[in-house]
Amino acid sequence: MDVHLSWYLALSAILFTIGVVGVIIKRNIISMFMCIELMLNAVNLTFVAFSSYFRDVTGQLFVFIVMTVAAAEAAVGLGIIIAIFRNRESLDVDDANILKL
Amino acid sequence: MFTVLLFLLFAGLAIGCAISMVAQRNPLYSAISLIGVFIALACLYVMLAAPFIAAVQVIVYAGAIMVLVVFVIMLLNVEEEEKKRTRLRVLIPAAVLLAAVLIAEASFIFYFVERAGQPHDPSTSNVGLTASIGIGLFTQYLLPFEITSVLLLMAIVGAMTLASRTGGGFFSPNVRVVPGAAVLPRQIVDPNAVGDATPVIAETTEEAARLLGVDDVDQKPDED
Repeated sequence: MDVHLSWYLALSAILFTIGVVGVIIKRNIISMFMCIELMLNAVNLTFVAFSSYFRDVTGQLFVFIVMTVAAAEAAVGLGIIIAIFRNRESLDVDDANILKL
Repeated sequence: MFTVLLFLLFAGLAIGCAISMVAQRNPLYSAISLIGVFIALACLYVMLAAPFIAAVQVIVYAGAIMVLVVFVIMLLNVEEEEKKRTRLRVLIPAAVLLAAVLIAEASFIFYFVERAGQPHDPSTSNVGLTASIGIGLFTQYLLPFEITSVLLLMAIVGAMTLASRTGGGFFSPNVRVVPGAAVLPRQIVDPNAVGDATPVIAETTEEAARLLGVDDVDQKPDED
C-alpha cells in the first residue's frame, strides 16, 4: 500500500474547501485573509504533488512564485486592513460597505 | 506502509488545524492554527521529496507572513467575533443538497478514474533539490522570476503608501515633511495647556524655535 497521487489531491481539495467555507462564513477581515492563505497553500500542495509524481520541476517553481505573490498580498492586504481599521474602528466586513478608505 | 502512516498523520494534522482555524472566534487562535497547517504541509512537502519548498514554506509562510498577521492582530487589538447573525436561512437546504452533489462527484472521480500517478521513489529523484530549482528558475523561467521581483517592489511601495499616516488620523492631510520639521506637544508651546498632548506642527526649524521661544537656532536646545 502506497500513498497515491490522488490522496494528495483529495487532501488539497479538502483544505481548499475549508478555506472557501471560512471566507464565506467569517466576517472578521483578518480571519478571511487567513482563509485565503489556506486556499493558496492547498493549491501549492497540488503543484508539489504533481511535480513530485511527474518528476518535473516546473510545479515547484510555480509554488515559489505563488509564495512570493502571497507575501506581496500579505504586505498590501494588511496595509489595507490597517487603513480600514483606522477609518472605521472595526474589522467587520459588513461595516466596510463603501469603497472610500 | 510507514509513508502511509506519516501521510495520514500529517494530513490529519492539516485538516484538524484548518477546521480549528475556521471554528475559532478569536483571530489570534485562528492564526496559531494556521501555523499548524503550514507546518503540517511542510512535512508533506518533505514526504514528496521537495525539501527546498518545505524550507521556504516554514521560513516564508510560518515565519514571515504569520508574524505579520499576528503583529497586525495584536496592533489592532482585535476583539472576538460576536455571535453571527444568520441570514438567508432558507438557503441552508439548498446548500446541503449542492454540497452532497459535489461530494458525490468528487468521490466518483476519486474512486473510478484510472490511477495516474505511479508510486514514486524519492531517493532517486533530484527534482526538489535546491540546485534543480535554481537552474529552472534562472534559465527557463527567468522572465517570471524577474516579474516577481517587480511585483515585490510594487508591494513594498503600496504597503508604505497604504500604511503611512498622512491623510488619515493623527496629522492633517496637508502636513509636509521638511528638513528640520518638528512636532511639539501643545503644552510646551502654551503654558496654559498643561497635560494637552495634541501636536503642534512646525514646518521649519525657525518656526519651531519661534514657537519654543528659543532665539539661537544654531544651538540645539537641551533635551533634558
